[in-house]
Amino acid sequence: MREFLFIVMSAVFVNNYVLQKFLGICPFLGVSKKLDQATGMSIAVIFVMLLATAVTWPIQTFLLTPNNLGYLQTIVFILVIAALVQLVEIALKRYIPALHKSLGIYLPLITTNCAVLGVTILNIDEGYGFGQSLANSFGSGLGFFLAMVLFSGVRSRMENCKASRAFEGLPITLVAAAIVAVSFFGFTGVVDTLLG
Amino acid sequence: MKKMIMPIVVLGLICLVVTGALAVTYQVTDPIIKAAEAAANEAARAEVLPEGSGFAAVEADGLPERVTAVYAADNGAGYVFNLTTKGYGTMKLMVGIGADGTITGVKAMDVSGETPGIGDAVTEESFYGQFLGKDAALEGVETISGATYSSGGYIAAVQDAFTAFDMIAGKEGA
Amino acid sequence: MKKGNSALSNLTRGILKENPVLVLVLGTCPTLATSTSVVNAIGMGLAATVVLICSNIIISLLRKVIPGSVRIPCYIVVIAGFVTVVQMLVQAFFPDLYSALGVYLPLIVVNCIILGRAEMFASKNGVGASALDGIGMGIGFTFALFLMATVREVFGSGSFAGIEIPFLVDFRIPILTQAPGGFFVFGLMMALVFKITHGKAPVKKEMGCAGCINAEACARIRKEEAKG
Repeated sequence: MREFLFIVMSAVFVNNYVLQKFLGICPFLGVSKKLDQATGMSIAVIFVMLLATAVTWPIQTFLLTPNNLGYLQTIVFILVIAALVQLVEIALKRYIPALHKSLGIYLPLITTNCAVLGVTILNIDEGYGFGQSLANSFGSGLGFFLAMVLFSGVRSRMENCKASRAFEGLPITLVAAAIVAVSFFGFTGVVDTLLG
Repeated sequence: MKKMIMPIVVLGLICLVVTGALAVTYQVTDPIIKAAEAAANEAARAEVLPEGSGFAAVEADGLPERVTAVYAADNGAGYVFNLTTKGYGTMKLMVGIGADGTITGVKAMDVSGETPGIGDAVTEESFYGQFLGKDAALEGVETISGATYSSGGYIAAVQDAFTAFDMIAGKEGA
Repeated sequence: MKKGNSALSNLTRGILKENPVLVLVLGTCPTLATSTSVVNAIGMGLAATVVLICSNIIISLLRKVIPGSVRIPCYIVVIAGFVTVVQMLVQAFFPDLYSALGVYLPLIVVNCIILGRAEMFASKNGVGASALDGIGMGIGFTFALFLMATVREVFGSGSFAGIEIPFLVDFRIPILTQAPGGFFVFGLMMALVFKITHGKAPVKKEMGCAGCINAEACARIRKEEAKG
C-alpha cells in the first residue's frame, strides 16, 4: 500500500508530468483558460492514461518482450492509443451521450498528447509491474489535473492584468507557468520529508 | 466494396513494410548497441575499481535485492557491484569495493528518473565523493537535504553492496 | 525563375518566417525538455529533422495511394517507423545522447511539427518540395532549440556545449536548467521575437493552430468557450 501511495505521490508532486517532465504542454497552454475545460481535459487524460496502460503493459510484457520485438514498442503503443481513443469516443457517443457531450471534444486531442504515450513508455522503462504501472499512470494523470487546475486559476487572474505589449498572450503565460513550476518545488520538499 | 477494403489494405501494407524495415535495422544495429553497452560497462568498472583488471562475472545465490550483478577483478583487487535502487525513479549504480573492504569508487549509471537539479544531485562529487575510502559502516556519509529520498536510496544500495561483498569475499576466504 | 523562388521559399520559410517553435508554437514539449544543454538540443533537433525529412518524402510519395479515411494512422505508422530507426541508430552510435534524451526520443512520434507537416504540406505537394520543406522546418526547429539551449546552458551551467566559460561558471543560475527556467526562457524568447520584428512577426498569441494536426479539435473547444 505504502509503495503505491509513494508512486502516486511522486508522480503527482515530484515528477509532475507537465511542470517537471514537460509532457502534455500543448493542452496545458491551450485548454487551461477556463476551469471547467481544464477539468474536462484532465479527466479525459486520466481515463485514457489508465486505459492505455492497462492495454499496453500486457502487450509489452507478454507479446513484445518474450518475442524479442522490443523495437516495435513505439509503433505498437501509438497505434494502440489511437485505436483506444477512437473506441472510447464511439462507445461514449453510443452509450453515455451526456458524458460524450462534455468530454468528447477533448478526446481527439489526446491521441497526439505526448503525456499519454510518455506514461506508457516510462512505465516499461522503469520496470514497473502491472499494479505499479496503473498507480503511476493514475498519479501522472492526477498530476496533470492538478497542474491544469492550478494554472487555470492563475490564468483567469492574468486575464485581468495588462502585460507589456511584447509579452501579451503566450509569452506572459509561459512566464506564469515558470512561477507555478517553481511553486511545485515546495511540494517536492514536503513529499521528500514525508517519505525520506 | 472497394471503398471498404482499400483503406485496410493500404494501412496493412504500410504496417508490413515499416515492420520489415525495422526488423532489418534491428538486425544491423543490435550487435553494435550490445557492443557499445558492454564497452561502457567495462569502462565504468575500470573507473570504480581502478586497480582491477580482467573483470569476470561472479555467480552467487541469495544476493541482497538491490544487487543485480557482481564482477570480480582477476588480479584480486576487489569486486564491482551493479546496483538497482529506488529514488523517485529507478536508479542504476555501480560501486567498486577493494579487497581491503573499502570503497574504491561509485558511479551513477542511470538516474534519469530523478528530478533534474534536485534528485540528480546524487551525481555531484560533493555527494558521491563522501563514499571514497569508506568501509561497511559508511561513517560520515550523509543524505542530501531536499533530496533525502533519492540519496537515501543511493546509500541503502551501497550498504547492500557491502552485504554482498561479505557474502562473496567471506565465502572465498573459507 | 518563379519556380526557383518558390523552391527557395519552401526551404527558408521554416527557418524564420514560419519557424515551427518560435512563430507557430509547435513542438513545445521537446523544446522545453531537451534545451537544457546545447549538445542535447542539437541532438534532438537533428534527430527530429531526419525523421521530418524522411517522413515528408515518403508521405508525399504515397499521397495518391493513401485513402483519406485512414490517412492519419498511415502517417503515424510511417513516422513511428522512422522514429524507431533513428532511435536505434542513436543508441548504437551515440549512446550518451541516447541516455540523455531518454523518453523524448521515442516521443518524436507525437511531435506535432512532424505530423503537422505531413498533413498540411507533404500530403498536398510533390516530393522535392516536401523534402525542402522538411529540411527548412527541421533547421528551424534545431535553430530554435539551439538558441534556447545556449541561453540556458551558458547562464544555467556556465558552459557552452560542455566547455566551461570562465567567470560565468562562478555565477551560475542553476534554476535556468531546471523546469521553471525552461518556461521562463521560452517566454522571454517569444517576447523578444515579437519585439525584434516590431510586432510584424505573426507570433501567435495563442497556442499554434495553423500547422497543428489538432487544429480542428482545438477550434471546437474554442467555439464552445466563446458560446459559454
